[in-house]
Amino acid sequence: MSQISRRQAMALLGALGLGASAAACAGPGGSTKPAGASGPAAPSAGAVTGKVSFAHWRGEDKAVFDELIKRFAAKHDGVEVAQDISTSNDYNAQALQKLRGGSIGDAFATFRGAQFKNFTEAGIYTDLKDSQAVKNYQKGLLSAGQNGDSQLGLPYQVVFPMPMANLDLFDKAGAEIAPKNWDAFLAMCEKLASAGVIPISWPGGDVGNGGQLFNCMIANNAPVDDMCAQIEQGKLKCTDDWFIKMLNQYKDLKPFVQPNATGTAVEPAQNLFSQGKAAMLATGSYHLAAVRGLGAKFPIDLVFPNTTSDGKGKYEGAYNATFILGVNSASKNQAAAAAWIDFLSEPENAGYYANQTAQHVSVDKVEYTNPDLKRLSPWLQKKTALAARFQFNNLDVRNAVEASATAVISGTSPEQAAAAAQKVVDERL
Amino acid sequence: MSIHPGTAAKRKATDSPAPANPAKVRRRSPTRVNPALYLFPLPAVAVVAFFLVMPTLQAFQYAITDWNGFSAAFNYVGLDNFIRAFTKDSLFTNALTNNLKFVLLVVIAQTVFSLVLALLLTKNSRGSILLRALFFFPTILSSVSVAFIWKFIYDPNFGLANSVLRTVGVDGGAYLGNDAQALYWVAVTQVWFHSGQMMVVYIAGLQAIPKELYEAAEMDGANKWQQFKSITWPFVAPATSIVVAYTTVQSFKAFDLILGIAGNPPKSSLDILSTRIYSTFANSEFGYAAAQSIIFMAMIALVTWLQRRLLRLTPKGD
Repeated sequence: MSQISRRQAMALLGALGLGASAAACAGPGGSTKPAGASGPAAPSAGAVTGKVSFAHWRGEDKAVFDELIKRFAAKHDGVEVAQDISTSNDYNAQALQKLRGGSIGDAFATFRGAQFKNFTEAGIYTDLKDSQAVKNYQKGLLSAGQNGDSQLGLPYQVVFPMPMANLDLFDKAGAEIAPKNWDAFLAMCEKLASAGVIPISWPGGDVGNGGQLFNCMIANNAPVDDMCAQIEQGKLKCTDDWFIKMLNQYKDLKPFVQPNATGTAVEPAQNLFSQGKAAMLATGSYHLAAVRGLGAKFPIDLVFPNTTSDGKGKYEGAYNATFILGVNSASKNQAAAAAWIDFLSEPENAGYYANQTAQHVSVDKVEYTNPDLKRLSPWLQKKTALAARFQFNNLDVRNAVEASATAVISGTSPEQAAAAAQKVVDERL
Repeated sequence: MSIHPGTAAKRKATDSPAPANPAKVRRRSPTRVNPALYLFPLPAVAVVAFFLVMPTLQAFQYAITDWNGFSAAFNYVGLDNFIRAFTKDSLFTNALTNNLKFVLLVVIAQTVFSLVLALLLTKNSRGSILLRALFFFPTILSSVSVAFIWKFIYDPNFGLANSVLRTVGVDGGAYLGNDAQALYWVAVTQVWFHSGQMMVVYIAGLQAIPKELYEAAEMDGANKWQQFKSITWPFVAPATSIVVAYTTVQSFKAFDLILGIAGNPPKSSLDILSTRIYSTFANSEFGYAAAQSIIFMAMIALVTWLQRRLLRLTPKGD
C-alpha cells in the first residue's frame, strides 16, 4: 500500500472543503414548483389507503380529531391518519418549510391571510374546486380559501374574535349586553366596574390574542373594508385621523381592563374570566372550550364594542373564517388526504367537530347541539366584518400596528404610538 | 520523575548512528504515517463541512439575495440587505440595542454573582456541596421550563412576585408588560438560570490556587480584600475568561428563553437579534434573515474579542 504524505492528506481535506464550498454555492430556491399558468392541479385520485399526515396547530382539538380519525379508518380499510401538531406560533413560522417537502402534511390547515398567501405562492395547494368537499360549504364563507378561479383551501372554522361576556355578571350589574354606540359601551363598562368586577380581561402580554380586539375596534372606524391591506400598501396611514380616533378609544378602555393588563398572558386572562372576576374576555369565541375547561359555569354570549358615535355603523360584529384545509401538492398520498378532507367536510363529521370543540364551522346543514354554540348561533346571521388583522401579509407590519394599541393602554399617547407604528410601516413599503 | 515518551523517542533517535542523508530522513519520518490514520478525521470533517461550513457559506450567498425561502425565483441584491439592516430597519436596530444591553447586564451580573457564590462555597464541606447542587440545579432545566416558571412568577395577576409583594401592600407592576423594565426582568431570569453553572467554573479555578499563597499573604498582614485583589483575582483570570466569553455567547443566543417568556413574536422591548432573525425568517424574507445572521455572527465575534482585550484576560500573543 503506498504511503501518502501529510501534504497530500491536507490536499485531500482541502478538496473536500472546496467541494463543500461549491455545494454551498448552489443557488437558493428549492424544489417547490410554482403554480404554472394553468393553475394548481386537483389532487390525484386513487385508492384511499396508506398513511396520511394531517398537519395543524389545534392541540386542544387533538382528542376530537382522534375520534374522527377512528371513524375515517373504519370507513376506509388500511388508511391511517397521524396528526402533526405544532403550537400556533410555530406553525405560523415553520409550516411552509416543513410541508413543502411533502413528507409531513399530506392534508393540512393554514391561517387566513399571510400564511395562506405564502402557501399559495409556494404552490403547496392542490385545487379542490371540483372536490366533493367543496359542495358541503356555505358559499359565502369559501372566499378565504380562494385564489382566482381556484378553490385552494376550505375554511373550516367560523370564529368570532369579539369579547365573550359572562351573562350572570351582566345581569347582576344591570349592564346592557348590546351597546348601540361607543358611549353606551363605556357606560356598560362603568356599570360592571361599579358592581365590583373587572369589566374586561385583556391579554395585553400576548401579541396574538391581545390583537383580536383590534378586529372589533377597527371594523367601523376605518373608511374602507380592506383597511389593513391599504395600511400595508401605504394608501392609509396609522397617523390618519380615523386611526388616531381608534387609539383614543383604546385609551378610553384603559380604566376598564385589569390592572397591569399589558403584562397579562392569555392563560391568566382566561382565568380572570372563568373565575368570575372579569365580566368579559377580550379574545374570541375560539376560547369557549378553554374557559369551560377552566370551570366557567355561567352562560356566555358575545359583545361587540361598537365604536360608532351614532350607532349607525356598517358592522354589528367581527368574524373570521380560518383553519383552511388543503391537500399538499407534494404529497405522495393525495387520494387519501383528499378523502380525509372530504370526510371532515361532511355535515355529520363537521357537526361532531363543532359541538365537541365549541366552534362553529363553515360547513352547511350542521346541527349545533352544544349549548354555547346554540346561544352564539344568531351571530352567524348578523352583519359581521371579516377579521381585519389577517389582511396584513407582513407580520412585522401587523405586530407594529397592533402594538400601537398596547402602547396606548400602557400609557403612550395615541399620536406617539401611531407615529411609531407608521415608522415601521414606512420602512417596509 | 517520569520521562515524556516523546522525549525518550527523541533521545533514542539522537543516540542512533547518523544516516547517510540525515535531512531526507528527518523530512520523511514525521510526515509518513499509515494512510488509514487519515480516515479517522474524515467523519468529523464531513459532519462539520455538511452542518457548519456549508450552511455558513450558503448564508453568505443568501444574504445577497432577496429570496423568500420557498420560491424558485430570486434576485441578487448586493449589499442591500446589510444596508437595510443598519439604515432602514428600526426593528433590527432596536433588537441590536436590546441585545447589547442584555449582554452587558447579564455578563456583569452573572460574573459577579457566580464569583461571589463560588467564593462562599469553595470549601468542600457538606453544606457547601448541598448549596452548590442547589444553585446548579436551574442549569439542568430546559430553557422552555425556565421560561414558563418565570412567566408565572412575573404574571401580575396570579404570579408569585406580586402575590408576595401584595402581602406587604406593594404592587410590583406589570413586569414583562412594562416596556421600560421588561428586559431587566428577563436578565434576572437569565442570571438565575446560568449562575450556578458559572459558579462551578469559578470553584474549579479557586480550588486550584495554592493555599501557601494565602498563608504567606496572611503572614505579611494582607487583609481579605488585598488577598482577593492580589491572589484570587489574577489566579481566577482564566476562569473569568471562560465565564465572560460563555456568558456573552449565551446571552446573545437567549432565543428560547425570550420566546418562551415573551411569546412569539416577542414585543419590541424584548426583541433580541436571534428572535428578530427568526421573525424575519417567519416573514418569508430568507435573504434578509441570512444577512441579519451574518451581522449577528460578526457581532458575537467582535464583542467577545473586545471583551478579552479590554479585560486583558488573554495575554498578547495567545
